[in-house]
Amino acid sequence: MALVELRGVSKSFQKGDETITPLDDVDLSIEQGEFVSLMGPSGTGKSTLLNLVSGIDRVDSGTIFVDGTEITELSRSKLADWRAANLGYIFQTHNLIPVLTAYENVELPTLLLKLSSTERRQRVELALEAVGLSDRAEHYPRQLSGGQEQRVGIARAIVSHPKVVVADEPTGSLDTETSEQIQVLLQRLNKELNITMLMVTHDAEAAEIASRRLLLQNGKFVEREKTVLVPEDQTPASGSVATQ
Amino acid sequence: MITYVLKTLWRHRTRTLLTVSGAAVAMFVFCFVGSVQEGLNRLTTGEDADRSLIVFQENRFCPTSSRLPEDYAGKIKEVSGVRDVMPIQVWTNNCRASLDIVVFNGADPEQIRSSRPIELVEGSWDGFESQRDAAIVGRNVAQRRGLDAGDQFSIGEISVKVAGVFESSVPSEENLIYTSLAFLQYTRGLDAAGLVTQHEVTLAEGADPDRVASEIDAKLRTGAVATKTRRKGAFQASTLSDLVDLIGFAHWLGYACVGLVLSLVATTTVMSVQDRMKEYAVLQTIGVRPVRTMRLVLAESTLLCIVGGFSGTLFALALLWGGGFAIGAEGATIAFRPSIGLAVSGISISALVGVVAGVAPAVQAATVPIVDALRQA
Ligand SMILES: Nc1ncnc2c1ncn2[C@@H]1O[C@H](COP(=O)(O)OP(=O)(O)OP(=O)(O)O)[C@@H](O)[C@H]1O
Ligand SMILES: [Mg+2]
Repeated sequence: MALVELRGVSKSFQKGDETITPLDDVDLSIEQGEFVSLMGPSGTGKSTLLNLVSGIDRVDSGTIFVDGTEITELSRSKLADWRAANLGYIFQTHNLIPVLTAYENVELPTLLLKLSSTERRQRVELALEAVGLSDRAEHYPRQLSGGQEQRVGIARAIVSHPKVVVADEPTGSLDTETSEQIQVLLQRLNKELNITMLMVTHDAEAAEIASRRLLLQNGKFVEREKTVLVPEDQTPASGSVATQ
Repeated sequence: MITYVLKTLWRHRTRTLLTVSGAAVAMFVFCFVGSVQEGLNRLTTGEDADRSLIVFQENRFCPTSSRLPEDYAGKIKEVSGVRDVMPIQVWTNNCRASLDIVVFNGADPEQIRSSRPIELVEGSWDGFESQRDAAIVGRNVAQRRGLDAGDQFSIGEISVKVAGVFESSVPSEENLIYTSLAFLQYTRGLDAAGLVTQHEVTLAEGADPDRVASEIDAKLRTGAVATKTRRKGAFQASTLSDLVDLIGFAHWLGYACVGLVLSLVATTTVMSVQDRMKEYAVLQTIGVRPVRTMRLVLAESTLLCIVGGFSGTLFALALLWGGGFAIGAEGATIAFRPSIGLAVSGISISALVGVVAGVAPAVQAATVPIVDALRQA
């Protein structure tokens, strides 16, 4: 079985009299170590998908397995435990706890695991080092730039050595240059730490760094080939080839 | 995780401080009222409340109006079940309810020494017994009036030399000033030669207080002045009956204070939690269990209450300890003393109120709809 498996997952929302069904009977498999990017028009259900995979939202029907655990079966409390051990979530707006320092923010998830204090400190320091913020450990979120805040958010997502990290537009609120730094960082974490990643993005360039690119369209996933970037004076690549 | 709770409280320090001081003031009042209540309970249930009787003139209330022959003591002693009788002349500066009441009890110094549960902390018995105008002063009065052994103390027609300061296991005793019987009888304006205000009867072991009381009254009915004998506790309670009603009312005030702390801390916590619903959603996304989320909120409210309640209680106890407060009427007094029970109830009620105040916001935080809260910008 793949690391992440969605089988016949449906999810709809009630908006007044209207029922919106962003995900209708979708299947998806993500292998261990893959870096999957997910693009698609606004409102197609990308965030909804991430929320279902992380168990902070419930499917209407279908099942989701992560590393063999059927998370769609778990209670809210069990899901929390499961997330603490297996899942990292990178938000679009970092969502750091403002009263805690960068170090304390990154430390939070480790407090939920059975670790010795030395082990805990090592992990936090390593995570901060991985995102290049060792020297900002004692800073509060408001004392950091947007890009730095996002990096702290990433460190918090990887500190407990999760099996899967999901990211919802992690570069969505950053300038181009900072975005690129974050993209490089995510790619490195995927390669060096072998973390399986599922990233939603609106940025075609950011999507390129992934090892596998998906498009969510009309409630279905479409695989996209890697766009061959060509110099401007040559004919541009003829779009992406869709397969399913 | 406690770092998170503390830092959250610290971030809104103005709000925290206001809530804590509100809780402190309310618990201060609670403890103060509680000490009055305790003082009253001690009067009616204390060690000598049921083992002593007071013989008073029938239908009289203020000590100045009760005038019994001193030699009734001999007749009372003949009643079976009476171990000892102490004739006492009472003088008070104020027959009405007052917070600064001074009550003199004149009695035989040797009898005072042997029968009252008092111990000198300053001065000497010899000094008291050898001088006619000597007095020993209860610790509360000494504290309130700033009296030490060797001082001269005058009030109204009376002027005494302080021969000592005593403390007692019966707190209301500490509001008294003891002089010799003769000294008080011959005080100008009292004109009480051969007369006393009351006789205090110590019961023999096993004697039924009510039987002895009615026998004393029956025996003295033939005398010059009719008497009414009651247990000391009941006597004091009836003397203070106006105050008892007032204290009963104040008791409710104490409970109202607890309610005040509850609503104050609950409001603060609800506000604080509602401001941070997204934070709780983030925490749960990270993997904090709903139950743990609840505990974080409860810790916040309990901490507010305990810090406030603790300081209010402590301040009240310190003031009670150092102030020597008493309220009295018609020669009977209620002492406000600090006590372990008061400290324990003040602090445990604070903790309990803290938990109760946090329940609603804690449930709110634990059951936050994670996705909806995260979608909020
Ligand atoms: N809690 C909710 N209540 C009602 N409707 C919802 C809720 N969550 C999502 N939706 C609707 O479901 C659809 C999919 O939402 P979702 O956030 O998954 O889209 P998305 O693909 O992430 O869009 P975007 O690219 O703009 O972030 C949208 O039409 C949205 O309005
Ligand atoms: Mg989205």
